[in-house]
Amino acid sequence: MIYRRRYRWTEMWLLLFPAAFLILALLELELTQNASTPLTRNTLPPVDVFTPAIGLMIALAVTHVLLNLFAPDSDQTLLPIAGTLASIGVIMALRIGSSPGFDVPSLGTKQLAWVIVGLGFCVGTVVLTRDLRWVRNYKYTWAAVGLALVGITLVNALRHFNTNAPSRDVLSIGPGGFSFQPSELVKICLVVFFAGYLSENQEMLSAGSVPIGGIKFPPLKQLGPLLFMLGLALIIAVGIRELGLALLIFGMVLSMTYAATNRMTYVFGGLALFTVGSVLAFSVFSYARVRLAIVSNAFDPNVATNAGYQIVQGLIAFASGGVFGSGLGLGHPTFVPASNTDYIAASFGEEFGFAGLLALLGLFMLLVFRGMYVAIRARDPFNQLMAVGLTSVFALQTLVILAGNLKLMPLTGVPLPFVAYGGSSVIANFIIIGFLLRLSENKA
Amino acid sequence: MGLDTYSVLLILRIVLVAILYLVILRVVGVARREMRVAERAPGLVTRGKDVVGHLVVIDSGSTPLRPGARLDVEPITTIGRSPTNTIVLDSTFVSTEHTRILFRDRSLWVEDMSSRNGTLVDQNRITAPVAVTPGTILQVGDVRFKFAV
Repeated sequence: MIYRRRYRWTEMWLLLFPAAFLILALLELELTQNASTPLTRNTLPPVDVFTPAIGLMIALAVTHVLLNLFAPDSDQTLLPIAGTLASIGVIMALRIGSSPGFDVPSLGTKQLAWVIVGLGFCVGTVVLTRDLRWVRNYKYTWAAVGLALVGITLVNALRHFNTNAPSRDVLSIGPGGFSFQPSELVKICLVVFFAGYLSENQEMLSAGSVPIGGIKFPPLKQLGPLLFMLGLALIIAVGIRELGLALLIFGMVLSMTYAATNRMTYVFGGLALFTVGSVLAFSVFSYARVRLAIVSNAFDPNVATNAGYQIVQGLIAFASGGVFGSGLGLGHPTFVPASNTDYIAASFGEEFGFAGLLALLGLFMLLVFRGMYVAIRARDPFNQLMAVGLTSVFALQTLVILAGNLKLMPLTGVPLPFVAYGGSSVIANFIIIGFLLRLSENKA
Repeated sequence: MGLDTYSVLLILRIVLVAILYLVILRVVGVARREMRVAERAPGLVTRGKDVVGHLVVIDSGSTPLRPGARLDVEPITTIGRSPTNTIVLDSTFVSTEHTRILFRDRSLWVEDMSSRNGTLVDQNRITAPVAVTPGTILQVGDVRFKFAV
């Protein structure tokens, strides 16, 4: 093997963009605080205001240097894309946290801390997975760990049974009230398991040898564990009342199975199963019925002030942004409940407008594109399927939450990758970036 | 000399969104360049051994092979019971030198080496070399394979 120890210039140049974005966004935020006074040298913000921006820039630069050391040949666009998205997230957290009616000025700093921890985890993943075989050999362990994490949450939730809580996906650790959402890490564990399983049974699953009604099904020995793990994951996801998570896992497994077997039968079968599952969820869970009803009659006066309040306010926020937005710091994002988490897209859309939202979508599209490119160039089926699965997590999450925000499908609380406020999600997403970097480093 | 804050804000607003689009443009540029390089150097993806295809075990018969296992097909691949073969099938139904697979004219050819139990391609016993494509089923003795890329 030849080592090409070239400096990652492309990555460095691309990282200048999020840096510029951070500085200018903070400048704009500061200026909007006293927008009525004319701009002179005296009214320019003091330098220490830019501390969060500089903190994130340093963190990105350090990550860049570490990647030069540990994975010099890996993809050079992933970190800048994720960095830009994370910058948007930090700026939005800072902006929403300091707005009247929200009053958590430390929100931006907290998000910044999470991003820095996330970058640390990203580099850690790159270093620890130098040889991906150990990850692959313990695939059942990974699946067990992942499901156990959610299982504990489920038990915990059932003990303090509260029928009104929409989600039970929080696990508190220690007396400090430090809590995290295990479902974020479960996704990664499941991707590892399914990549390992599918790459080993790829041929049998795609060939099929048991003909039932004209279609050749793979033998139960190969299909069984796949369906069992999928079923278990879905049951637990539904148990903690995270229909969004269930949707995510299902879509992820379906994309991976299709990528592994190249058979449309699985896609059609999956969609049929999905329909059955949706009807079941619809008839069993009242909150699922409510969510679906909101989509059809959100603007009904009774709904718009109650169950549909959030979604209607979100749509108004999008609309008031118009094409070019109100400008950062000049909108009213806090009118929407959960403006910093589930409705971060609405907050961003209001202040950056349709133009900004389109750029945001473009960034996510590029992230998915680069992830799939990593998959194409990866070394073996396991590496390829890992890349496909991890990338599909980004794609599906973005799709589910944005479509929910825009009232195109029932709203489920899935965080928008990197942008939405929340430690678990940011860390998990940076671990995924770490895996993708490693997979692109180990290309064939 | 006070510059109107609102015009500064307007400029910042445009620049902020412009930066996001610049990121996209630059990344697309990088991706295009990389793809062009990959196109020019097709040797980048080849592996060490000269592998022209794969045989996937569907039915291992009485051999210890694992169903689903992928075996490499080289430009000249011999299949049989003798350990001198490229692919060794330890089964009483397989002759010492049973079948040969050759890579000629960008296609794989299967040839029976006058074995006792014969070579079956898509369930037909072959008497002359037959060209095969991915998906073709090959039966050697009691072992069945599928050709894959």
